[in-house]
Amino acid sequence: MSTGDPTQAATGSGHPTQAATGSGDPAFAAEATVEVAELSVWFGPKVALSELSCSFGPGVTGLLGPNGAGKTTLMRAMTGLLGPKSGSVRVLGQDPRRSREVQRSLALVPEDEAVPPALTARQLVRYVADLHGVAARMAVERCLEEVDLIDVADRRVGGFSKGMRQRAKVAAALVADPTVLVLDEPLNGTDPVQRAHLIALFRRLGAQGRTVIVSSHVLHEVERLAERQIVLLNGRLAAAGGHRAIRDTMADRPRRVLVRTPQARQLAASLLGIDAVSGVTVDDGSLVVSSSRAGEVAVALPRLARDLATRLEEVRPLDDSLESLFRELVR
Amino acid sequence: MTAATAVLGYTLRTNLRARRWWALLLAWAAAVMFGLLSFASDEPRQEAFAVAADHGLFALLIPIGCLVIGDAVLGAEMRAGTFHFTWLSPVPTHTIVLGRWLGGWLIALAALVPAVALSAIVARSPDAIGALSLATAAGSAAYIGLFVLIGCVTRRAAVWSLAVVFLVERLLGAALSGVAQLSPMWESRAVYAGLGPDADELLRDGVPDGWAAVARLAIITVVVLVLASWRLRRPRLAAASD
Repeated sequence: MSTGDPTQAATGSGHPTQAATGSGDPAFAAEATVEVAELSVWFGPKVALSELSCSFGPGVTGLLGPNGAGKTTLMRAMTGLLGPKSGSVRVLGQDPRRSREVQRSLALVPEDEAVPPALTARQLVRYVADLHGVAARMAVERCLEEVDLIDVADRRVGGFSKGMRQRAKVAAALVADPTVLVLDEPLNGTDPVQRAHLIALFRRLGAQGRTVIVSSHVLHEVERLAERQIVLLNGRLAAAGGHRAIRDTMADRPRRVLVRTPQARQLAASLLGIDAVSGVTVDDGSLVVSSSRAGEVAVALPRLARDLATRLEEVRPLDDSLESLFRELVR
Repeated sequence: MTAATAVLGYTLRTNLRARRWWALLLAWAAAVMFGLLSFASDEPRQEAFAVAADHGLFALLIPIGCLVIGDAVLGAEMRAGTFHFTWLSPVPTHTIVLGRWLGGWLIALAALVPAVALSAIVARSPDAIGALSLATAAGSAAYIGLFVLIGCVTRRAAVWSLAVVFLVERLLGAALSGVAQLSPMWESRAVYAGLGPDADELLRDGVPDGWAAVARLAIITVVVLVLASWRLRRPRLAAASD
């Protein structure tokens, strides 16, 4: 199994190329099963992916990015559902748009909820099994059991909740025993118990040597799932590597914190005396502190407030959303 | 179970849902109405029915019925986002297209052949049932294939299918026999014109009739299915909105 070094991260808006393979670039897996080279996809004026190069190997890889980053487009291109405008995608050395045989080893759980509403869960999984030539009836039952749907297997999927539909799609994807499993936001709509169950399942599949690619816009969710992560932003590679390295990279970027206090000007003056603070703006009872070492600011703030005998009415990070953190990554 | 039977079974199972039986009743009600319309004409019985069949069955019931069925077996599924269950498999695209087309055609036969037969019975023209059923079967085969092809090409399959039926076939086909020769609507009408009783009025210069029209419809069916399976190798199952 080969995944990127969890302590290593590559960041920036540049586009690593295939030449980087094997040179330790965390955007590329050493034993790649899915290779994406200079991939661009656009829909009219909207650029969904721009000269993206990366690869995926055995184990679980998280595909992170805010909504609209290009995760779904990349996953559709990887499975052949969408053709590249330029560049290429190879799965197990073959073009998924040209080779029907590679589809035998490939499975996708798409993000959208759509399922054939007239089928029962068992019929849906059975149908996918028949298409892949899986004759064993036990395989269908095993997959339904794996996702905890065996008790409702004869109910129509059209009447399922969002989480149950997700699980039915996962069961259908697993029945053909795929080598490469592409999961687009597979935990959407699942309850916490099912979420933990599915995370354990995906980790187990990764540990078996399958290439499991899981997309999410929730950082901590992917951290639980994958050792290696690829971060997309605006259709470009923003970062790649282990989650600790990506977190550290994000943490090193300037953050802004809103502080509301009755003595905003005095506190601003005191804050400017701290090395960790790169800038302060004061505005009518509140101040915005900029710092690349937010942790140190968080420690210093209560102390300074106590020294000034003032109170902190509100302390709130302005850049706490994952989306803004991603933006910081490509500044 | 082979992949082909799996695709066929899936097509039938997903399209033969309880609430869709109402559509079948609607088709039969329309057929009865067109049969009754033939009584409004002073012409002899068979000839009056041929005219009613021309305007009602061949120009409206068969194309619209096939459009609904043909769109449901593929285009609607592509729009709904469930087609990947079928496409992401090692099954060759021609097997997928053939399974979908056959499923759609069987549904069309079950829905439309009894409807046109009912129309002939209501119009007191039982002699017309054979030719009418053959024309419907051959015409619906070509139509379902055509709408499967349109479903492979565009996401707005229903709109384009309507445009093909009413603008290309109905308008252009009426003016240009070159277009009519390639039109399931005109060719199925020509099958009935050549084989039906007292339907000579429907014969048209430059359009083969009778069994020659059946052969023409078979060729159209094969051609559109080949094109559909070629197109399905490189689908476009996502757009910017996805």
